[in-house]
Amino acid sequence: MGDFSVVWRHSDLVLLGLLGTLKVTATALGLGLPLGLTVALLRLSRTRAVSFPAGVFVEFFRTTPPLVQLFWCFFALPILIGVRIDSFQAAVMTFALQSSAFFAEVFRGGIVSVERGQWEAARAIGMTYGQLMRRIVLPQAIKRMIPAFLERAIELMKTTTLVATVAYSDLLFQASDIAQKTFRPLEVFTAAAGLYFVVIFAASRLVQVSERRLARTGESTAH
Amino acid sequence: MSGYRWDFAPVLQNWRILAWGLVGTLQLAVVSLAVGLALGLVIGAARYSRNRLLHWPATAYVEVFRNTPVLVQIMWFFFAFPIVSPFAVSAYTAAALALSLNTGAFAAEIFRAGIQSIGRGQWEAARALGMSYPQQLRRIILPQAVKRMLPAFTNRGLELLKMTSLASAIAFPELLYGARTIATAHFNPIEAYTIVALVYFAIAWPLTQLVYAVERTLRRNE
Repeated sequence: MGDFSVVWRHSDLVLLGLLGTLKVTATALGLGLPLGLTVALLRLSRTRAVSFPAGVFVEFFRTTPPLVQLFWCFFALPILIGVRIDSFQAAVMTFALQSSAFFAEVFRGGIVSVERGQWEAARAIGMTYGQLMRRIVLPQAIKRMIPAFLERAIELMKTTTLVATVAYSDLLFQASDIAQKTFRPLEVFTAAAGLYFVVIFAASRLVQVSERRLARTGESTAH
Repeated sequence: MSGYRWDFAPVLQNWRILAWGLVGTLQLAVVSLAVGLALGLVIGAARYSRNRLLHWPATAYVEVFRNTPVLVQIMWFFFAFPIVSPFAVSAYTAAALALSLNTGAFAAEIFRAGIQSIGRGQWEAARALGMSYPQQLRRIILPQAVKRMLPAFTNRGLELLKMTSLASAIAFPELLYGARTIATAHFNPIEAYTIVALVYFAIAWPLTQLVYAVERTLRRNE
């Protein structure tokens, strides 16, 4: 059944698409992580004028569909600020903001999970808030958050497929393109799904291994 | 930034398009949730089974649907599936199939984790009373497990609601597609997409608060 050679014949385009997927994922991840940490720290602030907007930001990006956010950034934002935004920039901006809302919750969970005694001890030896975070709390918290981060990173990679709807050449976009040119949607879309599966399944396995290893040392908060 | 004059009137005048879109969104979400949960229970039980003929296909199904992007699944059911399908596949059928099967795979994992969280003693006591496996599951295990699974299921429902927006990519007339229609006709993407984002938020945010409330109550009871 089927003629998968059409996929093989267009393997250069498929690879180009996969590269596009990885590029968006990596860039959004690189921006989303520090932004997530910042939002988490703001949300943990005791000043309500700081923690409230951070909370609204997180809730808004967690409860609205990423595709709506992407359309907003791609179609609405350029008119609003009068600057041209291409599909790559819109995608990176959307997914960096969207994933940072989820990362913020992971950071917050991890920071809160560090025992009170650690905070008090750090403060007792005269550390400032910045020192306390950097030297005492974050090193312990981040180790516990690793599985949750990896899981979110995988979710992010799955979400990046949405860029195909604004014509950025990721794997799914290339697949649609090839399917249209060759009239072989069954083979092409099945192969694309298979390729996604291989990459994402391998990443999930990695998460499980790291989870098991961290669980053994009793440091994991993933569930 | 200040140069733009917001004008929500064209969007509000076309509220019928958005209302129809909302109906499409909710219909897709409710149908996929119902089918997905039922499927998840069956698959979850099959994954828990010691019979390899049941266990193995169930595991493969769950892994495939959890490890591929939803949009790819929707596109597959819309563009690829019709070629091998014995029946006609509309945008609604394709979206409902993809979202149901996707939800089924995640629900199966929730059921499995929930069932496994019930102590062995409960199973043994039920068996000692002479109950069959379905009776043990229905009368003893599930009533206890479902309570623990409630937050996870509400979360899944929330994810599903967000996922229905992807059906706009295959031109199923749901909420986002409605906004797109309005934005194209009136050149007002800013207002159209802003309103739709707010509608999603208005539906989803109470759901998240519900999850928190349920989690808090359960923690207090256990």
